[in-house]
Amino acid sequence: MWLIFLPLIVVIFVPIYYMIMMAFTTEANQYLWPIRWIPQPGTLQNFRKIFADPLLPLARWFMNSLFVASVGTLIILFTSSLSGYAFARLEFPGKRFLFSLLLFSLMIPVAITLIPAFLLLRDLKLLDSYHAIWWPAAASVTGIFLLRQHFYSIPTDLEDAARVDGAGRFRIYWQICLPLVRGSLFALAIFSFLALWNDLFWPLIVLSKQTILTLPIGLVVLQQGSYVQRGLAFAGAFVATIPILIFYAFFQRRIIAGITMAGMAGQ
Amino acid sequence: MAISTASAGSKSRRWKTLRDQLPNYLFILPQFILFAVFLLYPIARGMQISLFDWKIMLKDQHFIGLANYEALLKDKVFWEVLGNTFKFMIITVTINVGLALLVASGLKHGFFGSEFLRVLFYAPGLLSVAVIGIIGIRVWDSQLGIINYYLTSILGGPRVSWLGDTRLVIPALSITTIWWTFGFPMLVFIAGLHNIPENLYEAAKIDGASTLQSFRRITLPLIMPTMLFVVVTQFIAHMQVFAQPYIITAGGPGNASRSVVQYLYETAWKYFRYGYASSISVVLALIMIVVTVILFSAMRNRAEY
Repeated sequence: MWLIFLPLIVVIFVPIYYMIMMAFTTEANQYLWPIRWIPQPGTLQNFRKIFADPLLPLARWFMNSLFVASVGTLIILFTSSLSGYAFARLEFPGKRFLFSLLLFSLMIPVAITLIPAFLLLRDLKLLDSYHAIWWPAAASVTGIFLLRQHFYSIPTDLEDAARVDGAGRFRIYWQICLPLVRGSLFALAIFSFLALWNDLFWPLIVLSKQTILTLPIGLVVLQQGSYVQRGLAFAGAFVATIPILIFYAFFQRRIIAGITMAGMAGQ
Repeated sequence: MAISTASAGSKSRRWKTLRDQLPNYLFILPQFILFAVFLLYPIARGMQISLFDWKIMLKDQHFIGLANYEALLKDKVFWEVLGNTFKFMIITVTINVGLALLVASGLKHGFFGSEFLRVLFYAPGLLSVAVIGIIGIRVWDSQLGIINYYLTSILGGPRVSWLGDTRLVIPALSITTIWWTFGFPMLVFIAGLHNIPENLYEAAKIDGASTLQSFRRITLPLIMPTMLFVVVTQFIAHMQVFAQPYIITAGGPGNASRSVVQYLYETAWKYFRYGYASSISVVLALIMIVVTVILFSAMRNRAEY
């Protein structure tokens, strides 16, 4: 089996290895031909440069991305789980209609919302702030479907018992049901965090002040204009990628399960 | 008399239920406010803006009816980028889905290290598209690229100008995208394949069916619902491709790799023609909805058989 997959393993692995290797190669040696697969001499000069250059505040962009993705994920978890719970467990007039409205919206391509959402955020003076990223992202409805399914599957007796004990509906949601769907919450968190961490397109539209840029835009800046230094771009790519890959290595099982779960829920 | 009390009773009971259910709306309120503000309203607003010659600084926008759409139909660049996008989407979706299903079939039966392979194959999906861009530029580079390194140094072939050739640039971007994204459909297919009962394959084996036959007769029909989901989501994702050409080729050479969304982006945020850009987005949305519906009905029929 491994033999059959060997070509694919090589194809997947080589570009990632190449990026890591080039991050540790001096600018002068970036253009050596034929390619040297081990940096000689290895150097940290690229990293020193990107972390020292005030015009390229990479550490800052990294922290910005972390902040944007973390807060955004929390917002999405909160709004999606509230609605997912309501659609699975609570009754209210118009429930079916509202749910099919959400389903229908999955058919609409995001492209059509870009310009009006941008103009709206501009009128609200929210451009160049992270609100412009969080709130449109939290409007996405995919998380509701994932969580609704899971809320359905938990037995009602727990809730009934809590109700008899006089717990209000919000407390039942928060203290009883939410902990029971941890698996789905984790899946949604991974999915949302990665989407926010990696997104380039929307931040490119709504963010322009250099100090508040996120890492993906920073990486594009790194390889445009006067900064077109390959070593720096690779070092930036390394910084953006390695924390994610390390996190992935530690939690691979749960991440794979979570992403599969999120993927299957869409059906 | 009895009837009227009963109806009054049910009325007050209904009233009581309603009052009891009213707070439940609070649960969906945050989501629906965002949904209305950032999804429903922009859809309607986008259609409206497309009827104006919308300029960002003006107080009163100039209504021009369908003029944007008329111009769009005559816009050679639009047709070119639409063609590019379809070409990119078809190559990417076809290979992505085929490769993902193939790899998933191979990984379905756990073997030593199969779990590791699943983790490895998904790994590129974790990278930011900006990182994909940085890597992609160097992979395809005609002078220093990895592909040409293998082609010239190891296979002794000629140097190919992958990103400078109008016929090769879209396949190159497609392959980059497949490398980046095939892990997700692979995971979904693995889960889908696990839902097919194993005894069907055993029965087919007893009847003397070959691996290929049982793939065609059992796997393919039963994976259809999953396939439908994967194809539709892949279609929606890749039809709206932006960052790969934006970073790797900037849409070039000429317009050869410019995508619809990139054209939309430039029309709006480089030339500030919001009205015209809106008409692009409306047409793109219409095309995508029509194709999605066609995909659904075509694959539904096959799934039922």
